[in-house]
Amino acid sequence: MSRSLSWKKGLGLVALALILISYPKLVDSYFLHLSVATLLAMIMACSWDILARTGQVSVGQAGLFGIGAYTAALLYQKVHLHPILGMLAGALLALMVAIGLGYLTLRLRGIYFSITTIAFAEALSVIWLMTPSITGGAMGVSTPPLFGGNREHAYYLILTLFGLVLLALWLIESSRLNFAFTAIRENEEVANVMGINPTRYKVLAFAISAFFAGFAGGFYSHYNTYIIPYEVFGLGISIACLVMPIFGGLYTILGPIIGTILIKAIEEYLRVTISYGHQIAYGLILVMVVLFMPEGLIGLYKRRILPLWGRGTES
Amino acid sequence: MDWPSFFQSIANGVLIAGLYAAVTLGLTLVLGVMGIVNFAHGELVMLGAYNTFWFYTLLGLDPLVSLSLSGLLLFFIGIGIYRFTIRPILKDPPLNQLLLTLGLSIFFQNLAMILWKTDSRSVITSYSGMSLHLGMVHIGLTRLITFLLAVTLTILLVLFLYKARPGRAMRAVSENNTASWLIGINVQRTYLLAFGVASAIAGASGALVSTVMYTFPMVGFKLSLKAFCILVLGGLGNIPGALFGSLILGLTESFVGTYVPEGSGWAEGISFILLIIILLIKPTGLAGTRRE
Repeated sequence: MSRSLSWKKGLGLVALALILISYPKLVDSYFLHLSVATLLAMIMACSWDILARTGQVSVGQAGLFGIGAYTAALLYQKVHLHPILGMLAGALLALMVAIGLGYLTLRLRGIYFSITTIAFAEALSVIWLMTPSITGGAMGVSTPPLFGGNREHAYYLILTLFGLVLLALWLIESSRLNFAFTAIRENEEVANVMGINPTRYKVLAFAISAFFAGFAGGFYSHYNTYIIPYEVFGLGISIACLVMPIFGGLYTILGPIIGTILIKAIEEYLRVTISYGHQIAYGLILVMVVLFMPEGLIGLYKRRILPLWGRGTES
Repeated sequence: MDWPSFFQSIANGVLIAGLYAAVTLGLTLVLGVMGIVNFAHGELVMLGAYNTFWFYTLLGLDPLVSLSLSGLLLFFIGIGIYRFTIRPILKDPPLNQLLLTLGLSIFFQNLAMILWKTDSRSVITSYSGMSLHLGMVHIGLTRLITFLLAVTLTILLVLFLYKARPGRAMRAVSENNTASWLIGINVQRTYLLAFGVASAIAGASGALVSTVMYTFPMVGFKLSLKAFCILVLGGLGNIPGALFGSLILGLTESFVGTYVPEGSGWAEGISFILLIIILLIKPTGLAGTRRE
């Protein structure tokens, strides 16, 4: 991918940005809420994808999300820190935890890494439940509505964060980091021999990923006004984080975005139709993707749809 | 020292370890024979538990009777799962196998939530409240029966693997599948059977789970995580290791439950902490792994 964008693409981006900015004026409150939730999910999907680019498949992204959520909520509850500063604090704490965890899990490959991340999130959940004097325990923590309940402002805040995560992804893709991440993912030993320090890059990816996951968590706690350990450290969030980018197409910028929009639409439909278990779609999609479309929707588009238009499979 | 509670902790730990071992055995079998960590194994246990619960609630069938029915049902479900989802990805990278079985796990969890809501259910039989007194120690009858059945399952599996032809084929395939194929073992069919047997054991352990724990959609996932901890404790893919790991986890949980303030809550987290600590010390599990 080249650093300079063609003017057509540039124009498209500007148009898209204008639409996204004027968006709150065009839709009703329910749709705005749905959009905020979707943007939040996109940020989580992208944050997971950044980590996955180094071959580290996390099933515990909820751990970092929960740390961010609780940091922001508890800082507000105890010292009335401004919500945005609280979110930033949550992001930074998640980042620091991720650096520590990243160094500890460096030697773990493949499945062992994934299992450790699940254990990490679940262990946090138990610790939170068992220390109610500090964390609020099973009762959770509540905060007043963000910006006095003004959804437009909340939308702009999450849109800004989404812009930042896209910027981070674009910088990664257009810099040497892309090669380093890919080399480590494909073969860590070879990457090491070629002079790439896997330690540094894997921890870096973990840190970037955690920053966004933590910030998203902080935003969620203030936006939702109420968090409990079962939810913010729960398997549901970790699964959502990985299914959305896998469905859309891994290691691309567009993939996690498309995947998130489609899955959120399906999920919202199911949420209305059935009272429990709407995450069944996540399970089905994960199985289907592994069996029938290993490169996700983007791969399907490149391999099946583009040739129909006679464009071949070049990317 | 308070000896009664000490011995009681040992007894409780050993009894629950029997159940953990039964759950872990199926996982070990699939991992040992085909090298796949089946994240959905716990969900098969969960289905077995629900099956037992419904047989008991609707037909009044004793859990100890429906145990074999759960095993049989899950054997066929397992065969179906293998045929349509596992077989196509046998040669895929391990991460694809992880994602596929994780997808199955999420699917079954949510299916259970849709079908049976999130209520915690339990099977209470006429003998549920009874217990034996052995010196200072009280042993619940249900727990004791569960433990003995879990031990029986283990012994049956070991006999199957060492005496029966298909079982010996499984061991051969787990050592070297190319050589097994060369000497005329049908590797595909062995995989199919191994997955079926593992699922049947999961179903039978599910029947046991329903009698000593609450049955709810996430119970399988919780047990899966404990089983991973046990695998890592005992080394991947070998049966003695799984038994050893179960004993360690069962005893640790039981002792934490007794001696730490609010211990029963903390005990739920022991498996995660143990898992993380062991993997950090030794990235391939305490006893190493037999397969690459």
